[in-house]
Amino acid sequence: RSSSDGEPAKFQPPPKPVIVDKQRQRDERRFLSPEFIPPRGRTDPLKYYIERKDMIQRRKVFNIPEFYVGSILAVTTADPYADGKTNRFVGICIQRGGKGLGATFVLRNVIEDQGVEICYELYSPRIQEIKVLKLEKRLDDNLMYLRDALPEYSTFDMNMKPVSHLDHDEIPVNKLQVRMKPKPWSKRWERPKYNIKGIKFELPEKKMKAAQKWSQPWLEFDMLREYDTSKIEEKIWREINEELKK
Amino acid sequence: MMPIWTKSGKKHAVTLLKVQDCHVLRYISKEESDGKKAKLLVGGKNVSPFSKPEAAMEIFKEAGVPRKQKVTSFNVTDDAIIKPGTPLYAAHFRPGQFVDVTAKTIGKGFQGVMKRWGFKGQPASHGQTKTHRRPGAISTNKAAKVYRGKKMPGKMGNIYRTSFGLKVWRINTKHNIIYVNGSVPGHTNCLVKVKDTKLRNYKECNKNPPFPTFFADGDEKLPEDLYDEEIFQFTDPSVTYA
Repeated sequence: RSSSDGEPAKFQPPPKPVIVDKQRQRDERRFLSPEFIPPRGRTDPLKYYIERKDMIQRRKVFNIPEFYVGSILAVTTADPYADGKTNRFVGICIQRGGKGLGATFVLRNVIEDQGVEICYELYSPRIQEIKVLKLEKRLDDNLMYLRDALPEYSTFDMNMKPVSHLDHDEIPVNKLQVRMKPKPWSKRWERPKYNIKGIKFELPEKKMKAAQKWSQPWLEFDMLREYDTSKIEEKIWREINEELKK
Repeated sequence: MMPIWTKSGKKHAVTLLKVQDCHVLRYISKEESDGKKAKLLVGGKNVSPFSKPEAAMEIFKEAGVPRKQKVTSFNVTDDAIIKPGTPLYAAHFRPGQFVDVTAKTIGKGFQGVMKRWGFKGQPASHGQTKTHRRPGAISTNKAAKVYRGKKMPGKMGNIYRTSFGLKVWRINTKHNIIYVNGSVPGHTNCLVKVKDTKLRNYKECNKNPPFPTFFADGDEKLPEDLYDEEIFQFTDPSVTYA
């Protein structure tokens, strides 16, 4: 290495190797299902505690796997009107809603050119099995815009093979930008209130700029809307782990 | 409010009611209450004793009980009289019984006739001048007066209302919580009065209650959770149809 003042360069020791401990990473990457986090309100925390006890009871008997909006799931439910009394549906999870025992998730698929969305309750006793075929995240929390996207983005094979996912890997984020059908759409997805990153907008620049008129830049600084859930999550995580080990 | 599932897979919405520090305050005999039934005064939810005059605190002093936020009366038969000062628990009710729940509805303030009485109002366009949510005509020509009780704008809500015939699905004896079917008048965390149903059709379901009440220091040891027969308990495997 050439020195600036003509003298021999000082010995620089090589940089220390960074050891990435995969076990530690797996422990630190904790996934707390979003329905455990209590919403902000004036309800007695005792109600959430009791609801959580019921949820943990159900999870001990029936395995609810970790999944995100954008993962592909296969759900079998008990159906009194179907042959074999079970009904299997494969789809991409477009939305996870509800808190506590009433938590739901919506699966979307296109079957024989007809878009089908089914809203399942996570803790319903009619669900026999929830299997994650492909675990991945998307750029958005809510994929309702798939209704206005080209149908190829919502079609998934009913007999899809599960894609293996190793435990210690990071959850892959699919940065797919979806192409839309021509307007009109069910919602004006270009507006900043939806904050969608997963659409490839092919609208003229003028329309995109006009949509920014509805932006509310003060919202991110509104202190009354802040809801910091980190401490609550810690407490609930510890509580759930203790109960599940019993 | 919470969902509850039955063994056949049906979902019902359920309200949680917590029995918080309920004590019997006073026994008023048949003659004193000048009626046909004796009364028991019951108080619920402890509050601070310092903001009321001494005269109001007499009832609580006699019963030996901290000051209660709400005092209600229940008509009782002579064989159901309880000594003042006994605590009342959620186990007084059992799953499968039917109850009536009374509470003050959420106050909406001064409201117009469309929200308060469900009037249809007038169309939004087609020439209506300044008349979209008004009551319109208030009486006929021949009557030449407005009848008493005419539905008009006024203060809405904040009055006692009762929901009848609500099924009790589950009782939690540890935290004293009653799971009652459907919705109940009042806002979250408001005080509520729970009685046995007056409806005739559910008389058989209320046949074997703990009488006169459930005593915690008695011989009966109850499990932490009491469920109705039809409830799907989360310890069971998933529901299947044969």
